[in-house]
Amino acid sequence: MNGPLIVQSDKTLLLEVDHEQADACRRAIAPFAELERAPEHIHTYRVTPLGLWNARAAGHDAEQVVDALVEYSRYPVPHALLVDVAETMARYGRLRLLKHPTHGLVLETSDRPVLEEILRSKRIQPLVGARIDPDTVVVHPSERGQIKQTLLKLGWPAEDLAGYVDGEAHPIELHEDGWALRPYQKQAVEGFWHGGSGVVVLPCGAGKTLVGAGAMATAKSTTLILVTNTVSARQWKHELVRRTSLTEDEVGEYSGTKKEIRPVTIATYQVLTTKRKGIYPHLELFDSRDWGLIVYDEVHLLPAPVFKFTADLQARRRLGLTATLVREDGRESDVFSLIGPKRFDAPWKEIEAQGYIAPADCVEVRVNLTETERLAYATAEPEEKYRYCATTDSKRRITEALVARHRGQQTLVIGQYIDQLDELGEHLDAPVIKGETTNAQREKLFDAFRQGELSVLVVSKVANFSIDLPEATVAIQVSGTFGSRQEEAQRLGRVLRPKADGHPAVFYSVVARDTIDQDFAAHRQRFLAEQGYAYRIVDANELLADEGT
Amino acid sequence: MAADTGPADSGRGAPRTLAEELRTRPDDALATLLRARPDLLSPVPNDLTQLATRAGTRASVVRAVERLDRFALQTAEALAVAPDPCPYETLRDLMTGTGEESGPPVEAPLPAASRAHIAAELPRAVATLRGQALVWGGDDRLRLVRTARELLAPSATAPSPTGLGPTVHEAASGMSPGRLQELLAAAGLPPTHDPVTALAALAGLFADRARMAALLAQAPEGAHAVLAKLVWGPPYGEVSVASPTPPVAWLLDRGLLLPSGPRNVVLPREVALRLRGGRAHRAPEPLPPPLPPAAEHRPEAVDSTAAGQAFTAPATVEELMGQWESAPPQVLRAGGLSVRDLKRTAAVLDVTEQIAAFWIELAYAAGLLASDGETDERFAPTPAYDEWLRLAPEERWAGLVSAWLTATRTAGLVGGRDAKGRTLAALGPDLDRSPAPEVRRRLLTLLATLPAGASADIDGLLARLRWERPPHRSAAPAVPAPSGPAGASGSSSASGAGSVSGSGPSSVSGYGSGSGSGSGSGDDLRSRLARWTLAEAELLGITGRAALSSHGRALLGLPPEGPSPKGTETTAEQPTTPAETATATAKAARMLAPLLPEPLDHVLLQADLTAVAPGPLQRPLAAMLGVLAEVESKGGATVYRFTPASVRRALDAGRTADDLHTFLAAHSRTPVPQPLAYLIDDVARKHGHLRIGAASAYLRCDDDALLAEILADRRSAALRLRRLAPTVLASQAPPDALLDGLRAMGYAPAAESAEGDVLITRAEARRTPPRTAPTPVPDGPPRPDTTLLGAAVRAIRAGDLAATAPHKPVPAAAGAATDGAGAATGASGRLPRTTSADTLATMQAAALTGSAVWIGYVNADGAASQRVIAPVRVEGGFVTAYDHTADEVRTYPLHRITGVAELADEAG
Repeated sequence: MNGPLIVQSDKTLLLEVDHEQADACRRAIAPFAELERAPEHIHTYRVTPLGLWNARAAGHDAEQVVDALVEYSRYPVPHALLVDVAETMARYGRLRLLKHPTHGLVLETSDRPVLEEILRSKRIQPLVGARIDPDTVVVHPSERGQIKQTLLKLGWPAEDLAGYVDGEAHPIELHEDGWALRPYQKQAVEGFWHGGSGVVVLPCGAGKTLVGAGAMATAKSTTLILVTNTVSARQWKHELVRRTSLTEDEVGEYSGTKKEIRPVTIATYQVLTTKRKGIYPHLELFDSRDWGLIVYDEVHLLPAPVFKFTADLQARRRLGLTATLVREDGRESDVFSLIGPKRFDAPWKEIEAQGYIAPADCVEVRVNLTETERLAYATAEPEEKYRYCATTDSKRRITEALVARHRGQQTLVIGQYIDQLDELGEHLDAPVIKGETTNAQREKLFDAFRQGELSVLVVSKVANFSIDLPEATVAIQVSGTFGSRQEEAQRLGRVLRPKADGHPAVFYSVVARDTIDQDFAAHRQRFLAEQGYAYRIVDANELLADEGT
Repeated sequence: MAADTGPADSGRGAPRTLAEELRTRPDDALATLLRARPDLLSPVPNDLTQLATRAGTRASVVRAVERLDRFALQTAEALAVAPDPCPYETLRDLMTGTGEESGPPVEAPLPAASRAHIAAELPRAVATLRGQALVWGGDDRLRLVRTARELLAPSATAPSPTGLGPTVHEAASGMSPGRLQELLAAAGLPPTHDPVTALAALAGLFADRARMAALLAQAPEGAHAVLAKLVWGPPYGEVSVASPTPPVAWLLDRGLLLPSGPRNVVLPREVALRLRGGRAHRAPEPLPPPLPPAAEHRPEAVDSTAAGQAFTAPATVEELMGQWESAPPQVLRAGGLSVRDLKRTAAVLDVTEQIAAFWIELAYAAGLLASDGETDERFAPTPAYDEWLRLAPEERWAGLVSAWLTATRTAGLVGGRDAKGRTLAALGPDLDRSPAPEVRRRLLTLLATLPAGASADIDGLLARLRWERPPHRSAAPAVPAPSGPAGASGSSSASGAGSVSGSGPSSVSGYGSGSGSGSGSGDDLRSRLARWTLAEAELLGITGRAALSSHGRALLGLPPEGPSPKGTETTAEQPTTPAETATATAKAARMLAPLLPEPLDHVLLQADLTAVAPGPLQRPLAAMLGVLAEVESKGGATVYRFTPASVRRALDAGRTADDLHTFLAAHSRTPVPQPLAYLIDDVARKHGHLRIGAASAYLRCDDDALLAEILADRRSAALRLRRLAPTVLASQAPPDALLDGLRAMGYAPAAESAEGDVLITRAEARRTPPRTAPTPVPDGPPRPDTTLLGAAVRAIRAGDLAATAPHKPVPAAAGAATDGAGAATGASGRLPRTTSADTLATMQAAALTGSAVWIGYVNADGAASQRVIAPVRVEGGFVTAYDHTADEVRTYPLHRITGVAELADEAG
């Protein structure tokens, strides 16, 4: 009666982290419950049908789930919830996708009424073919993803036993000289490989690229890697060549400028989703080789058309990588059904505790606007309000003060509005990287920053993802894409790579007090706060006063 | 009917009527009778004759028969097809079968074990029937009360559950004597003089094992199949009587089948019994179906699960009421709650509509909510709710469960449709189901017979309930559908008889369900009630994980451990008086109390602006947090989220930022996170600086221009405002007048209490005027207690003595009897006069014996007349009788009959 877990009637689980049994409990509930929030004292997990089905897919049964809940629960577990868990889990596996020796892909059931029910659904009918016998129906091979997605929505998830094609074999080995995969990276690779397909969630800076490399070394087959932009593609290539047996020639880049198809090809989302005359001309890339593995980098940014292509790729192994599986468009469940369930997840603070990401001090700097600015803000058009308060002079001044304070440390200033960034760049005498900056120029600047020739860099949101700036220790966010939670997390990720001297990183978010900026900031911080990053709020005046002394 | 009555042949001393037998019973037996059939007590009968008469009325007998357990019912059904009176041995043979040989057409006898069970249980069944005054007479001549016999005996319109048809006498009553003689000849019997002896000879043949065997041995192919199809009923088959197929013709010729219409034949009862090996029922069920435990949990786990739910139940009701007191839903014109309001409530409680309806009905049954009776009628909490709120948690639970146990309102019906297709609304009319309290108690008592911590299988429970109180007649045939034998005979009947169909459409209805624990037969009211009871008991925390908890056991007034005595008589041992129930409830509450979680005085604050209360909170703390933060998740713990809006709400409620900081620091186990402190300060800073104090009333505001504006406004003159300071105005008007005045001027002031808190201005919490909880609508009169029973028995005895002792011939009857002969001549003015009780009794007796009586009758116009009638049926205050005077069957209201006298001799 004194367990660490409290089971709520809305199917959230509250885990008291300071409890002595907390670790054991976490292990027991991890297979079926999603970690939703991980602040300091009480972590919140949620039991969802998806989570329960994933647990079934991983070989856990309802008995184990119920036992875990009952054993660690502090209060009696509502009986209705236990019944619901059992019933939900019993829905999994009534339908199975199988490879039939003569008919190809078939959907088979062990519970005929279920098959009857789903065959009556208008959404299923176009996806299936002839009925072979009362328990079996043919599925068009191209609809494998679609039917899984639809069945999931209908509440009868199919167990996919049709397996994967091996793809064209290609030898890939990890070159583990002087480094090795970290334990959690190994776990992530194993979790993914065991599950066949799925998503790995790791904090920024925790080495997701290496998880991808590890997966490729396990698959040992031709691989298609989809990334967000060209810079990111180059970094993947660089990293793969450095860490694996692959050579420059074996890794191709498929982007706006280059169209190379090699055993390992790195393509950008942008080129794939380019549409000409109503068609996607670069789609043949998916069919250009017999890919054995497809890696989706930053899967939370996966553009909608790619979902559709992915639905056709269900026979290939798919690996999704992300730091924050928070999609502002709410399509998380599509990610789960098309790429695969979450195979590995580690709370940020846990990885930090293991020393693999740098501890970060998150500071929200509240800036008081001047009277004139307040008046201007108050009278601004509603759609201009955020832009105005996010780009005020007061903010610029405090930003300059912060940069001055951390003089000598590698500092990134990140913002949303180009004119604001230009202005900042001018005042700070620092180069600005924005959308119009050429890739060559970008790489040059990044390189200079890496070498320490430059200590301050002003970047727009083009640098949100996948740029590797090893020694950035200070990030100052002056404005953002409204209330985007994942953007905040990605930006924090810029400073989380472990520092050589174990120095903590500092992440400043400069916010104008009593404006909409403050509301958006609160929303943006929510994800990180739930990951256990407690923001410290500092008054700009105090900060400036400190500077004075 | 077979050899009937004749009082002459009964031995001296043996009672001749039910009344006489009742007279010989001891007082406690009478008390048992009255307890089992409380309807006989209202009003208390004058004497035993009246008691016996009333016990024989159709309505009362139907009620009693409906309450028999399955085996007693089967016994009664067997008696109804047995000769009257029936010796005990005959009855036993009917139940067990004669255990003879089984030939091809004759069914195999029951296994010895089940015959032993039947023989062992039969005395109990007979005792039950006798105790209920459905059977009387000694074991050598058991007699089923006439009305019960009519009710249970097979007739053409109402097939018997035994599946037996009419007797040869009845079936062949319309047959010509010549045809009868032909039957005799075909069956190899010597001819007789008249139809009566012919039928007797035929019946004798059918009853004789050896001769029947010989006769059946000659049957042509297909005949056995036809017989097998009809033997277990229904006994009617459809054939072309005019041109029967050879097997049917053979059977018809020998009277083994008798025509019952132009297209139907019937299997006579004697033949069927012979073919069945003498058994009245295919599957007698002497023992209640066993109740195997479905799952066993640790009793502690059951108790704690139940306690958890018992804690949630009052909290849910409180949440419901909290919602309704601020937004009371409207009462529909037809009564009840609209579907939309139900949906909204369900959404607020985060439960299904069905469960929401349960909570609503529960609160209503407990008298915690009612309609307020205003013109714009709304449902709102009653004053009783406020009292209930002040109780300890376990007492609140006790209040709910005791209301639930006795309520006849059934939430499970909500959302369904009534007979006219109207949706049944929560809190609406037509939700009362009389058997509900009894089913609830019985089901929980059944659970109590299992070992502690064991749950029962729902099907097993339902089967048991159905055994104890078989569903209504049409749905309770003890004979399964004749699919087995019919399957075998299907081919032969197709080739032979062609159209011997097993059943007419009317008799099909009941057969779908079959007997025993059929899975599909859970649709009768009691089964549905039982299902709802199980779900509701779980919601209320009486059971946990479907097993009865120890406090649930106490609630039933049962000893804490050890299964209660099994059997069906347990119903008689329930606590019946309100005092006993209250004691049991209080005991249950006491047992529950230590299991309920202790309220906490702290929460955990986190940097993501949430607070987690890892358990139930003390009331003031919970109330304050409820204002200061939004509830995000409920259950064992509560998760609160602080938002600017919620903090503002707390500030609106008169708290200062400092109050809130102090409050959080005092109640948090952990340091107050900085973002939360900032949130409070930020909101407080923006919250404005308006403050009001009192002279008589004061008005203060940081904006002196506003005050100046108010002062300058001519409309404010009535408020007699005076400026105290640049930001403070004082008024001589009372605060409410000041508020109203300022509001009328278009301002939005807030009032402050003497302590400086802003008075909360949220909508008034609605209360109805005092309301009583709905009284349960029990089925029939309440169960009489021992005192009443004793008094009733004494009163009946006394009345009976007065009625029977002093005089043997009723003077009026004697006088009337002498006049009887002259009555036919039309001598008027001297109508027979008897008391209404005597009239009824005499009519009953005449109906039983089939004799004619002479009555005085006053018609609707007040004209008196005398008639000679032969009563056929007496029920519902009417006599149906053959009127010899008018030469037709007529119905007379009993209250118009001035008196009755027996005829001196047959006046027919």
